Amino acid sequence: MRQRLAINRLRAHTPLTHDLIEEFVRKYGSPVIEGERATFLFRGDADEVWVRHRVVGLPDPMPLKRLPHTDLWAATTDLPANSRVEYQVEIRRGDHYERFNDPLNPLVAHSPMGSSSVCAATGYEVPSWALPDPEARPGEIVEDGFASRALRRDQPFWIYLPARLSRVLRYPLLIVHDGGDYLQYAAMKTVLDNLIHRLDIPPLVAAFVPPRNRLVEYPNHAPHARFVARELVPYLTERLPVVEDASGRCLMGSSFGGVASVSTAVRYPGVFGSLLIQSASLVFTDIGQDHGGGPSFDPVVKFVNRYRSRPSRPVDRIFMSCGMYEPLITPNRSMVSVFREAGITVKYVEARDGHNWDDWRDRLHDGLTWIFPGPQKYVYE
Amino acid sequence: MRTILLGPQRFTIRATAALRSLETHGPVAVVNPGWEEREDATGELDAALDHRSVHLRLFHRFTDVLEKDSRFAAAGLRLRDRHDELTSLYRLRLEHTLDGVYAVHRRLPHHPARARHSQAARALRDCVDEIRGIDEWYLDRLRKLHGEFADESGMATSGVIGWHREELRAMLDSCAVLVLPGGNVGSLLRALRLFSVRIPDRMPVIAWSAGAMVLTDRIVLFHDFGPEGARESELLDRGLGRIPEIVAFPHARRRLRLDDRGRCSVLAMRFGDERCLLLDDGSWIEIGADGLLPPGARVLGTDGLVATVGSR
Repeated sequence: MRQRLAINRLRAHTPLTHDLIEEFVRKYGSPVIEGERATFLFRGDADEVWVRHRVVGLPDPMPLKRLPHTDLWAATTDLPANSRVEYQVEIRRGDHYERFNDPLNPLVAHSPMGSSSVCAATGYEVPSWALPDPEARPGEIVEDGFASRALRRDQPFWIYLPARLSRVLRYPLLIVHDGGDYLQYAAMKTVLDNLIHRLDIPPLVAAFVPPRNRLVEYPNHAPHARFVARELVPYLTERLPVVEDASGRCLMGSSFGGVASVSTAVRYPGVFGSLLIQSASLVFTDIGQDHGGGPSFDPVVKFVNRYRSRPSRPVDRIFMSCGMYEPLITPNRSMVSVFREAGITVKYVEARDGHNWDDWRDRLHDGLTWIFPGPQKYVYE
Repeated sequence: MRTILLGPQRFTIRATAALRSLETHGPVAVVNPGWEEREDATGELDAALDHRSVHLRLFHRFTDVLEKDSRFAAAGLRLRDRHDELTSLYRLRLEHTLDGVYAVHRRLPHHPARARHSQAARALRDCVDEIRGIDEWYLDRLRKLHGEFADESGMATSGVIGWHREELRAMLDSCAVLVLPGGNVGSLLRALRLFSVRIPDRMPVIAWSAGAMVLTDRIVLFHDFGPEGARESELLDRGLGRIPEIVAFPHARRRLRLDDRGRCSVLAMRFGDERCLLLDDGSWIEIGADGLLPPGARVLGTDGLVATVGSR
């Protein structure tokens, strides 16, 4: 028989004393995960309380209800196994609204926009390869940069050099949009160290490139594409022992960085052999211009609409991932068949997650090992 | 000619007993370039070989050649690019054709007697022949690449390569036994080939994992549980051919989907002219001059099942 939810067992107590609530909150914290149900809690005086999130399919804001004669608020929702949801609590006191991370939940995710609380469903775990491993020999991050004629400014970036780099060998090259964020919020140096150590990917060189104004530079911006293809790739190829062939080069990015990856490849076909794009903002319209994404999406929609009308094959392979709970899931699903029909080999992965850095970190294993398979098949110890 | 093939030595060490069983005296030549930059970390291995080891250090010598012989290094990069291109085409052909083979295999009637004489069985044999054709095409192209590389790199006349070869020949001559441990089978084969290491027939050999693979005629790469999913088994190259008509599958339990009978059946049919020898922890297979597998050896049959040589 299915057990009653903890919050309902608590509700059954009469009277519902302060001590009982105190004990309940101390025992469970928030959210309470029971099978495929999650109960969000809030304690305190307020006129209204909501959980704010961006999960497509669940109501946002999600109202919490006060347990009668108490200061405990609760709301229960479906949460399929392996899900991971980022959220905040919003309260109203009179005319005053306040939004903050869940004070009863110690799990927090960080991003350039700030932090959020994390609701991790049954089965979700941070992958072991995303955590520091003392056995893995660390690579090195080197600061570099040059004066870009295309961008008309100095463009800094960081280069990841694998442990035991040898100048007589040649390494695959990965160029990463939003490079600083991938290093800071997706633990990408740790991920590269670990995947190389586990033989899941070969030792590789990666360039992490930060944007200055990503909303301008990333949606199909000619100077940005020229910088990547005509300046950065030759610069790195000249100075580092990297594979000189397109098949050994991958361009990656998430969100608008995904658009930047695709549009750069389309402008410079044959420079990269593969793309790794995560929750790419590949928004399009089938008729009219009402895409609902605001002015920053105008150049994206123009580019994607044009590509969809005349699909080309700028790379051999694309790895795509997207969170099921984000609004971009529909455009991403739609683009899989467009890329495939253009003759591109596509691997597409979905996760029960949203548009966030932890999701992109968690999909790096799938993407990187598919783009650059490690030497496991060659190693028989 | 005595060759002892062992299972992986990480958990069940039988190398010591195998060496002592040969009743030889004198140094033991160790060829472990498959360990790559860890080539010199041989403490445990030395202990397992009764501290009789003489290390040929082929990986170290290989990097020495790359650093000192620029013509060879440049040709090596060109070979790698050409080989990468060939391999990607080979994999493309294999994956698409094998999809068809598995689809036909699924059409076989369940009853063995009916299956044997069915239309699907005849179609399956044709499909498998196609796979064998692709394997042969790859090996043929690869042989040509190696030929071009030999010309372009000037291997035959390189002073530094010649010096290493001479020294290695003398070292090998002074040893009583050769040991080939595991590691990266590509690195191992490349180093053996570069330095033209010839193993005299009279010299007993103990080999495991990648070491066992390079002794065969054809080296098959396989890993059904690799991070990129169940990618198809593929040929790496021709081996040294010391133990012909055998394809070695070390770590078979850990690396092959042995419970997928259809997949295993296709694998065994594909290499049907050879015996698919499974080398798991604890294996000890001694192959004599007749080249036959001894009773007790575990092989993969064309029915997709694991069988033991000598059992009914």
